[in-house]
Amino acid sequence: MHRRRAFHGLIPPIDRAAYREGLRAMGPLGVAISVWGLVTGVAMVNAGMSIPIALLMTVTVFAGSAQLAVLPLLATSTPLPIVWVTALLVNLRFVIFAAAARSSFVRLPWQQRLLAGYLNGDLGFALFSRRFADDTERGNPEQWGYFYGGAVVNWGAWMGSSVAGILLGGLAPTDWGLELGAYLALVAVLIPMLHRLPVVAGVAVTAAIAVATVHFPMRLGLLLAVVAGVAVAVATETLRPQGQPHGVLAIADDLADEGEII
Amino acid sequence: MHDLPYMLAAIVGLTAVTVATRSSFFMLPARIELPGSVERALRYAPACALTAIITQGVFARDHEPYVSVHNNQMWALLAASLVFAKTRSMTGTMAVGMAVFTALRLWT
Repeated sequence: MHRRRAFHGLIPPIDRAAYREGLRAMGPLGVAISVWGLVTGVAMVNAGMSIPIALLMTVTVFAGSAQLAVLPLLATSTPLPIVWVTALLVNLRFVIFAAAARSSFVRLPWQQRLLAGYLNGDLGFALFSRRFADDTERGNPEQWGYFYGGAVVNWGAWMGSSVAGILLGGLAPTDWGLELGAYLALVAVLIPMLHRLPVVAGVAVTAAIAVATVHFPMRLGLLLAVVAGVAVAVATETLRPQGQPHGVLAIADDLADEGEII
Repeated sequence: MHDLPYMLAAIVGLTAVTVATRSSFFMLPARIELPGSVERALRYAPACALTAIITQGVFARDHEPYVSVHNNQMWALLAASLVFAKTRSMTGTMAVGMAVFTALRLWT
């Protein structure tokens, strides 16, 4: 009884039919999420993380691409501020998703907003924003139900598969070059993002600077490369603004299209 | 990565980063909006960050740039990128990338 009440405090009223619709919409994506979780789990253990620490990380951090991105930094004991800033950079797309979806959640109590935000990953946002793109009313049990249907599948598939990956990772020999797997998985996130000129220009500059500055202390070359790349991308967009999405909703949709595959 | 306090502190900070980014605009007062210029920078940062991580991992060895035909990881990355661009299959991409890497490692 107590648990039920606590649960109600964290989750807004949801429409059951919409919840089931959300489950069904995210269901087929569960396979892709699981492959991704499995790879992340194996990669964490293979990078030298102990099983309890890897489990703790996957349960709390709950952000696959950021977890994979900081693995090489953690493995070389990079200063923590650099680790956190790197994760922040990879996660900045979520700020855009939050800005785009806020109108459906803004009137809820803060605990409910905090939890919904935490669960608002790439795929959940993509499904949610498409499903309600034409609705004028923002924030009702139907929308919350659909959101939580998707979020439950996403969370469950991710946690199940990443935990399985962590346990399996402990069994694999470490000399298989599996750390390469983390980079290959990140390629699968990166490639769909490269469909417009500004981002391609920015990424090219980042790649060149990142390789040239790899000897910089504390991975500062990495941050320098990102700052330069973003500057070039923004400059390219300013010079050739035709055909680029404008406004937070259009940009969020564009980003969500990119995330479709994983 | 064997230093427990370091890893625990890393995880606490990374969790804070997830919460801060995902919940950001859900928690901020409604009158605060994302300025257009910031929006654009945010939009490109993730792609650039992923690129920097991947290239520093694959095109470097012992803290020195390593762009060479003998760089097995580079060929694996290129093969995997082509497979992903064509098929959008995560499993196929991983399988081909690891297979190319293993083949080069064993036979060169």
